[in-house]
Amino acid sequence: MSTIEVKNLHFSYVEGDEILKGLNFVIDSRSTAIIGQNGAGKTTFVKLLKGLLKPTEGEILLNGKGIKDMTVAAIAKHVGMVFQNPNDQIFKNQVLDEVMFGPLQIGMDKETAKIKALEALEIVGLAEEKHTNPYDLGLSRRKLAAIASILAMDTEVIIFDEPTIAQDYAGKERIKDIIRKLRNDGKTVITIIHDMNFVADVFERAIVFAQGHAILDDSTKMVFLQKEILEKSYLEQPDVMKLCYELGFKEGFLNVEEFIQGKMNKR
Amino acid sequence: MKSISLYVDKGSWLNKMAPESKIIYIITAITVPALLGIRWAGMGFIVLSIILLLSGKVLKKTLPLLGVSGFVLVTVLIIQGLFWAGNITPLFRIGPAVFYKEGLNFALGILVNVINILLSFCVLILTTKPSDMIENFVRKGFSPRFGYVFISVFQIIPQMTETMNTITDAQRSRGMETEGKLWVRIKAFIPLISPVIMSSLINTKERALALEVRGFNSKNKKTFLNEQVKTSADIYIQIALLLGIAAALIWRITVWLG
Amino acid sequence: MARIVIEHLKYKYPGTNKLALDDISFTIEPGEFIGIIGRNESGKSSLCQAIAGLIPNFYKGAYGGKIFIDDMEVKKVGVEELCETVGIVFQNPFNQVTGSKLTVYEEISFGLENMGIPREEMIKHIDDAMELLDISKYRDRYPFDLSGGQMQRMAIASIIAMKPEVILLDEPTSQLDPQGREEVFQAVQKLSKQGITIIMVEHNMEKIAAYSDRIVLLEDGKLIDIDTPQKIFSRDDLDEYGVEAPVYTQICRELGLKDRSSGYYPITLEEAKRILSGDRKGEM
Repeated sequence: MSTIEVKNLHFSYVEGDEILKGLNFVIDSRSTAIIGQNGAGKTTFVKLLKGLLKPTEGEILLNGKGIKDMTVAAIAKHVGMVFQNPNDQIFKNQVLDEVMFGPLQIGMDKETAKIKALEALEIVGLAEEKHTNPYDLGLSRRKLAAIASILAMDTEVIIFDEPTIAQDYAGKERIKDIIRKLRNDGKTVITIIHDMNFVADVFERAIVFAQGHAILDDSTKMVFLQKEILEKSYLEQPDVMKLCYELGFKEGFLNVEEFIQGKMNKR
Repeated sequence: MKSISLYVDKGSWLNKMAPESKIIYIITAITVPALLGIRWAGMGFIVLSIILLLSGKVLKKTLPLLGVSGFVLVTVLIIQGLFWAGNITPLFRIGPAVFYKEGLNFALGILVNVINILLSFCVLILTTKPSDMIENFVRKGFSPRFGYVFISVFQIIPQMTETMNTITDAQRSRGMETEGKLWVRIKAFIPLISPVIMSSLINTKERALALEVRGFNSKNKKTFLNEQVKTSADIYIQIALLLGIAAALIWRITVWLG
Repeated sequence: MARIVIEHLKYKYPGTNKLALDDISFTIEPGEFIGIIGRNESGKSSLCQAIAGLIPNFYKGAYGGKIFIDDMEVKKVGVEELCETVGIVFQNPFNQVTGSKLTVYEEISFGLENMGIPREEMIKHIDDAMELLDISKYRDRYPFDLSGGQMQRMAIASIIAMKPEVILLDEPTSQLDPQGREEVFQAVQKLSKQGITIIMVEHNMEKIAAYSDRIVLLEDGKLIDIDTPQKIFSRDDLDEYGVEAPVYTQICRELGLKDRSSGYYPITLEEAKRILSGDRKGEM
């Protein structure tokens, strides 16, 4: 189990216009969702975590070691990231080759890379499509191929950038399962996401970013109970939580199952 | 705002002039000195361009352009001054290097021509909105489709650069090295360029659909939101410039015949 | 006002062997708000593009059946003519920016210039559309500098300015943040109140249930059902079609709470609240 410590993290592209204004938290074994309005600094934060940007102040420690002096390629061995748009990465003619690219880049031998790639395709449900051209898959399945290409790298930390875009009900369920599995395998899972119902369903911890600060950081339930703060940050409660609020419940339920469970227990 | 256009709106009279007038000015500034064959004519147009740029409040914007070409021009000056084939009369020396009058004179001719062309183009480029220029052409019967392509290039290219950056980030995140030795860069080429091509194709198709449903292929006669950029003085300026070219041409012919 | 009649519509994309749209027939009354749901690749986008005439006029392929907008047959008029009656907004706001205009105001004029609308009238249309979509304050901004929600509202305004009677929205909010999504939904609701026919593809069931007059459920290119949201989301077999009822419906179904007057499960927050507060009788 790896840890990520974020200490007094600042970042700005232009001096005097800070995008991150001092972040302090430790990412632990809980699956963590980072939520916030566009422009709140979420993407900047994960880019720092991947070493694609360097902090202007403060530091990030991966398993106690600063990542400041590591190259992007070196960080890639520990931290994987699935980008929002699969079209930004896909270049091979076969799904399997695409998925093997990352593992080979980080120094896996061909044999291991292939095993990992096939495992990853199995997890995302594309085992049958390993010889298909990725561009013959619809956008939602192409995204799953992109996810597999990162899973196959077998990194300790996996970051998802808006995993649910263009996914339907079945696709979302599939991604929920992937995230739960990674979590149970002891991986650190971090997601940037706009879909609050999805967060409520799978993530244990939520961090709310607003104007470069982490203004809320708690268990998902505690965060989603803060209706006013969420609304001030232009976010909303998950739908079931809205209902709880409307009904004047003291306790909040994150999703349908919890709601029904809670209701049954009271009877 | 990300655009590769150099245009700045200063609300000056040059901004309000018809782009055609400025295009004719460029033609005049280039042809008249060439026809007359007198260096002073070129210098005269340089001074005129500077005055125009000054009154258009964009003279400062020419500095980076002059800076880049200035380096080349200084090199021309040095090389011709030292080594031009017709060099006879030494003018001055710096250390062991002797500069000759004829070479410097020849280089000066090139200098005047280049700066003249550069500045007269600046008068057009720095004070004219690209879309206004194209729109005026479209009004005159130029194909709106070509017009669209010309204008959109100014905006779509910066957007593509942005996509390129994201793709670079995505591939580096998969452990790919993009910096360092030549071989590393060559190896990085395919993983970087293929997604750029594919996503451009996808974006282009989507944009084509979006244009289509906004009547891009409409058979109706196109109208314009912006009123045509021109002033009442434009026509007189254009006539004056054309007369100038004609006069220079007649002078040249008389010299030949005489 | 435009009445849309779809008769036995069939369509196959070039180079494929499967029908993307398979014998679809239904009618949309003027001013209706129609939601389209179904799993990915069930034919939602294809149906939209067929109503907008992009199928078969932009995409080729095999086409059967007919779509009428009033007495105009879609297949027989070009997209450039049809777009004056039927507008369509796509998923990615970014790719709908023409890239040939420097301000939001000019961007919206693009369609009107092509249609050849006289300048005075054009200005009025643009101002109205900006007002309606609440983007007048961004009038002089560079189109690509807008946020996703603002850009999508600009895309809608660009269509609305052309004064169509029908507007199709193909997952217009899926790439936006919660605030942007809310902005777009509010704008769409406003359009609906103006009497414009709205046809919207959307994955967010809570929203589509709350706004739609009727919902079209598609599966594998076929029309499974078209009915009120209450009836659609009270179906027992939604699972089979890869869609989920709104969470409010799911909760009430689990608890066996139907709306007494209609006999269906509630679909919105308000309905669920009403029924659950009645049911709760002081507990919790």
